[in-house]
Amino acid sequence: MSGEQEKASAFVSRLLANPALAPLTPLQREEQIIQFLHANAAQLAPTLGSQAFFPGKSWNQIVALLYHALIGIVDQQLRPDLKSVITGVQFGFVNFLRQQSAGSEKVRLQIEQFLLGLLSQMGARRSFTGAFAALRYGIVDKYINAIWTRKSYTHFELTKVQRLKLSKDDIKAMIEATLLLMPVVHVAGAGTNGQGEQVTGTVQAQFADKVFQAAKKQLIVLPDQVLKSGVNANVSYLENRFIEATARLSAVFAARCRNYQPNVRVDRGADSPDKSWLSIARRNYKFYGFDIKILDELYSIAAENGW
Amino acid sequence: MNRTRAALENVVIIAIVLVLVQTFLEDLAVLANWTWDVRRVLMFTGFAFDIFFSIEFLSRLYVAFINRRTGVYFWYERGWIDLLASVPLLLLSSGPAVMAYWSGSATVVGFAGILNVLKVVKAIRIARILRLLRVLKIFARIRNTDSVMAQRHVAKISTISVAVVVVAVLLLTVVFGFANVPSLETDYQTRTLEILDRIEAAGSDASELETITSFEDSIVLVQRGGTTLFSRYTNEVLAHSFGPADYGFGERGTLRVFFDLRPVNQEQSSTNLMYFGVIVLVVVAYMVLYSPHFALTVSDPIHIMSRGMNEKGYNLEVKVPPLYKTDEVYKLSGLYNEVYLPLKDRTSGSDDTDVLDLKLDDIKDILNE
Repeated sequence: MSGEQEKASAFVSRLLANPALAPLTPLQREEQIIQFLHANAAQLAPTLGSQAFFPGKSWNQIVALLYHALIGIVDQQLRPDLKSVITGVQFGFVNFLRQQSAGSEKVRLQIEQFLLGLLSQMGARRSFTGAFAALRYGIVDKYINAIWTRKSYTHFELTKVQRLKLSKDDIKAMIEATLLLMPVVHVAGAGTNGQGEQVTGTVQAQFADKVFQAAKKQLIVLPDQVLKSGVNANVSYLENRFIEATARLSAVFAARCRNYQPNVRVDRGADSPDKSWLSIARRNYKFYGFDIKILDELYSIAAENGW
Repeated sequence: MNRTRAALENVVIIAIVLVLVQTFLEDLAVLANWTWDVRRVLMFTGFAFDIFFSIEFLSRLYVAFINRRTGVYFWYERGWIDLLASVPLLLLSSGPAVMAYWSGSATVVGFAGILNVLKVVKAIRIARILRLLRVLKIFARIRNTDSVMAQRHVAKISTISVAVVVVAVLLLTVVFGFANVPSLETDYQTRTLEILDRIEAAGSDASELETITSFEDSIVLVQRGGTTLFSRYTNEVLAHSFGPADYGFGERGTLRVFFDLRPVNQEQSSTNLMYFGVIVLVVVAYMVLYSPHFALTVSDPIHIMSRGMNEKGYNLEVKVPPLYKTDEVYKLSGLYNEVYLPLKDRTSGSDDTDVLDLKLDDIKDILNE
């Protein structure tokens, strides 16, 4: 490692060690540091370009060095976390959907390899931030349990409209698998990466079809329903009313967790974090392409449980 | 300088707490017939506190004057309470009481007889209620809520309430005094004058005097030409239990009759304690009940909206209680929840700095290395 890389790694490590970032996932921390560098470029550029740091380098060169160091360090933290999250997903439902035994371990391994490949791209890392946080913080678990207790719109959409003849735990696992597959829109072979991606992070339906075809070649053990769910979680529900309920639900969970912070202190007189977020999301559902009825139900759940 | 000022402010707070205890004990001592030795200590303590608070007021006024903010101090920083709760008490309450003790009651109040004694007692009584304003001084120094606005509003409303009670009692007492409305003092005055007439009429008839004194418990001592004709108590008891304000006398020629004023004082102390209790309860109620209500329904929603507008990553909605949803604050909160936050969320999607937990200050040490 060159002296400059060492300096970049040391600088990034100090940033990552900031206590304010401690409760966040590695990808959230990475995003925070990227935003931090971007937001404070004017103040940081003269200092980091000085003799003590990276003399003679332009700001763009410095940022490239820092990004490289950042991704290296975050990957070291992310890999074990990702492995543990993937291991936590019960892929038994895949055998049921395929009507043949693929072996859960094989599915896990293929998804892990696929994700590690995708996460070398910055765009994929950004679109995986929320999904990964949703998995890390167990948000699927708590909401699916509540949805099953209520047996209302979302339950109906999952079991009757999407016709998932699976147990609650298997459906939960399928949603978790959908979340894992959300960065699939950055797969190679689907055209320009992120093509059709809009300000809201969603992709156009036609692009999603291309993504599906390209990803299918790499994730051969996954049933089409699961892969489609992962791809369609990036498509606006207003653009395609036939998106799977698992995809619609995953899109909400991933968006919710993009800036999620566990154990956040709620000011007196303020609504709870989930309730506030879902209330805002209900008003912006057209903008983000969410299913308003799912948001309504999740909002009621958050309100009832004080989340 | 700031440290000295903070230390002095702490001394003032301690003094206010102590003077409230002293005020309570002084009235309790009269009501419970505590010995004069104890009451004398309390009287001098009250005098010392009045001097202390008078000096405090004059100092604050002087500092305000040299800083050209006399008006601000007097009208907006409760200078008027500092004034009412200090100098008038020194001049009308504790000062006369201490003077009476040092001079002897007879020389101070005796020259004009029982009527003047009662008037002085009444004047002192009226002035004493000003002490209760000190409850406000301590209240002003208690930070019962984080919100400066809530604190100011609650302080304002409690000041108005307490000041109105105190001023109303003062004015009504004066008005009733001028209007000769029958009171315990006027009854007492009429009765003592009658007694004086009867004793004078009895002349040197010892049995008649015995009859009168056996029926009239208020008679403490009867003297004629310097000779004691009757004394209800021994000298030890008189020295132990009676203070200057506890008795008054009337005279006709060489006849001097000393009367027990303790029942009048006890009645007054009982009233004072009642006022004290009412005022303390009113202030505590504002602190305990109204202050949280104000914070919850006014300052908290404003605080949340202010954070939401100042901090990019703060997106918590204001909780709107259905009961108060028509309040202006909650109407505004509704707009904040329904219009501002969704708009902020949509526009922050393209903003890289939407939620930053990391601040430039956090890495000052790295940059300065």
